[in-house]
Amino acid sequence: MTNWLPGDCREANERFVGTDDAEWGIMNPITRRAAAALVTLTLVGAACTSDGGSTGDSTPAGTDAPGETTAPGATTAPGDTVEVVQADESKLDAVQSAGVFKCGTRDALPGFATLDDSGEHIGFDSDFCRVIAAAVLGDATAVDMVDLETDARFTALQSGEVDALVRNTTWTASRDGNEGATFLQPTFYDGQGMMVASDSGFASITDMDNVTICVAQGTTTEGNAAAEATRLGLAWEVRPFENVDLIQEAFIAGQCDGWSSDTSQLTGLRSVYPDGPDALVILPEVFSKEPLAPAVADGDTTWAQAVNWAIFATIQGEEFGITSENIDTFATTADPNIQKFLGQVVEGDAVLDPGLGLPTDFAYQVIKQVGNYAEIFDRNLAPLGLERGVNALWSDGGLMYSPPYR
Amino acid sequence: MTAALGTPRVPVWRDVRVLKWVAQIIVVAIAVAIVVWLYGNYVENASRQNIPTDMGFLDNPASFQITGNSLSQNAPVRDALYQGFLNTLRVSVVAIVAATVLGTVIGIARLSTNWVVRQLATVYVEAVRNIPLALFLTAGFLVVVLGVFPQITDAWDLAGLAVVSNRGVAVPWFEGSGAGLLVLFGAGAVAWFAAAKWRGRVADRTGALPRSGLWGFGAFAVVVAVGWGIFGYSYTLPSLDGRGTIGGIRIDPSFFALFFALTIYTASHIAEIVRGSIQAVARGQAEAADAVALSGFQRMWYVILPQALRIGLPPIGNQYLNLIKNSSLGAAIGYYDMTLVAKTTVGNGSPAVPVFFLVMVVYIAISLIVSALVNVANRRFALVER
Repeated sequence: MTNWLPGDCREANERFVGTDDAEWGIMNPITRRAAAALVTLTLVGAACTSDGGSTGDSTPAGTDAPGETTAPGATTAPGDTVEVVQADESKLDAVQSAGVFKCGTRDALPGFATLDDSGEHIGFDSDFCRVIAAAVLGDATAVDMVDLETDARFTALQSGEVDALVRNTTWTASRDGNEGATFLQPTFYDGQGMMVASDSGFASITDMDNVTICVAQGTTTEGNAAAEATRLGLAWEVRPFENVDLIQEAFIAGQCDGWSSDTSQLTGLRSVYPDGPDALVILPEVFSKEPLAPAVADGDTTWAQAVNWAIFATIQGEEFGITSENIDTFATTADPNIQKFLGQVVEGDAVLDPGLGLPTDFAYQVIKQVGNYAEIFDRNLAPLGLERGVNALWSDGGLMYSPPYR
Repeated sequence: MTAALGTPRVPVWRDVRVLKWVAQIIVVAIAVAIVVWLYGNYVENASRQNIPTDMGFLDNPASFQITGNSLSQNAPVRDALYQGFLNTLRVSVVAIVAATVLGTVIGIARLSTNWVVRQLATVYVEAVRNIPLALFLTAGFLVVVLGVFPQITDAWDLAGLAVVSNRGVAVPWFEGSGAGLLVLFGAGAVAWFAAAKWRGRVADRTGALPRSGLWGFGAFAVVVAVGWGIFGYSYTLPSLDGRGTIGGIRIDPSFFALFFALTIYTASHIAEIVRGSIQAVARGQAEAADAVALSGFQRMWYVILPQALRIGLPPIGNQYLNLIKNSSLGAAIGYYDMTLVAKTTVGNGSPAVPVFFLVMVVYIAISLIVSALVNVANRRFALVER
């Protein structure tokens, strides 16, 4: 653990590390004086570290992360982690030297992020966490899923507790401006809808006057519902709950006439409703735009670009028809666009490195290990009964469009 | 070496008086430095991420509505937070009054000579205060509000006076401004107090029974009735109307659940304080009351309780502070107190740190004011020893 210290500092530090805590209780005065000297030397050692840290050439945890630029922040002593955000160091370097990507997600949204029987995160958002890990680290499993409550997500992002937020988060102007978040390519274009009991007799939200609508707290849902009621001249009482379990209880007990949320969420919740999905019906109206996008902290363009291109790779992969199954058949492709996209060595050792700080084969790793956009969608959201709709490729009339990789 | 005349001068660095001051200054300097450092860190990191650190967000539209409140969604965040503050006060004041009464009764029951009453009180105290309040609240909401209260379509109509459903309890309410009513009831309370005081003096002078409670209530009723007639308040009865109620005032189910949870929980703590305080009153006091042939109630009401509450006042005041802070747990079941308004506005784009800083300052202010009031009352009632 001390081998990253420059030579003259190393000795002092090793002697200190060799001192067992248990000995401190029974020390005689001479030992105590020696220990004091050791502590002093260690302080000197620590000082050496902050001076000499940048000369170290090893990465902790033994990852052979690409781009061997060891970050100063990664090798300083624990006491030096004062600043939450390191100005001169990109999160990209920090993640690559840590060898693990901390993804802010959740554990209770069917289709987007839930836990399977073995406790693994599965879902659309969870897969995009893996996409980022595959692109940045070359390993889709090198991701640390951090479950966040809705109202804690931006704080976790700002404080660096998570490297990115892939947590069903709507991109809005106020969040972009006030929460210190940079939103990236939306992974799912959603809209708010209304779910009611099948036997309620409501066929449209315009039928719903003088009713109670239940929503989740701390989301844009409350405001959208209030705005829609005002727009339509209806009296809606909006009742916010801390989590979907409580909403479901309240809904079953008949405290709410309507359950409003993003239609994708409603579809997921409907699929696991205790009385069966047929007991509920989602009304046809969609009354808000909810682009669900990954977010990173403001002020780190390098990291934002890296995450963005990881997302784009899934879309571009679908456009090229490359899937996790057939990707290796493209090894001999003659299409120069695909060659560049997959980071293949074309002639000699010519390979496109657009300078994003990502490994040149990041798109290959993303699609090979996780899949393209269609695979991720079909795996997680199609079983809920969600259609591609506006989330189809641009070439199919949807909104999914990747800038060219060249 | 010649001995110096008089006391030798102590050097500055060994002078205890100086050292004491130096120590104080160092501690203050360290504390200030830590705060400045934390604040500097926050401002630096926030501005690096373009997060506003000022209070400008207060003027943005809140863009959400507070359940059971007429505030428009276009009202500024400032107003939404103020309504949240009022909601915190509402539930706290009502629950404090109820918890004090219930807690005192249970505390006395804990010392009852009746075995059944005593055991029931013990079971109540031990069961309630050993359950986390958050659990109690959620369970109360699920079991009572959602489990017991009927759906709105078959709400209980209690003789036209109340409509009970899981969307709230509608009760008769006055029409007109709440401030006017508050003044009226305030005047009534003053009349009650004055009448009671006067009866006390009469009793001291003539030895007649004071009956100050009866007289006080009479004075209160007369003042309120006369004021009511003069200002012409009317009231409306609640009735069912489709999927809601009209008339009267509807008490939100989340308010209900939170009020009951806070009252029952805090009462269990107050009961223990009351019991302890009663036991701390010297035994001779009860014996003296028996000696002058006071009844059991008179002994408790005139002799024991006034002395016991004097002992119990400071710790009961602490329970009041706990209750006010615990009211923030109502957020879980959707009671729009100050905390939930803060959480919601943060979810809708207000910067987290200034919002929560503001809310914390308000909680601290409320707590300090309550604490000051308790201290004033304590000084006023404290036994003056000579």
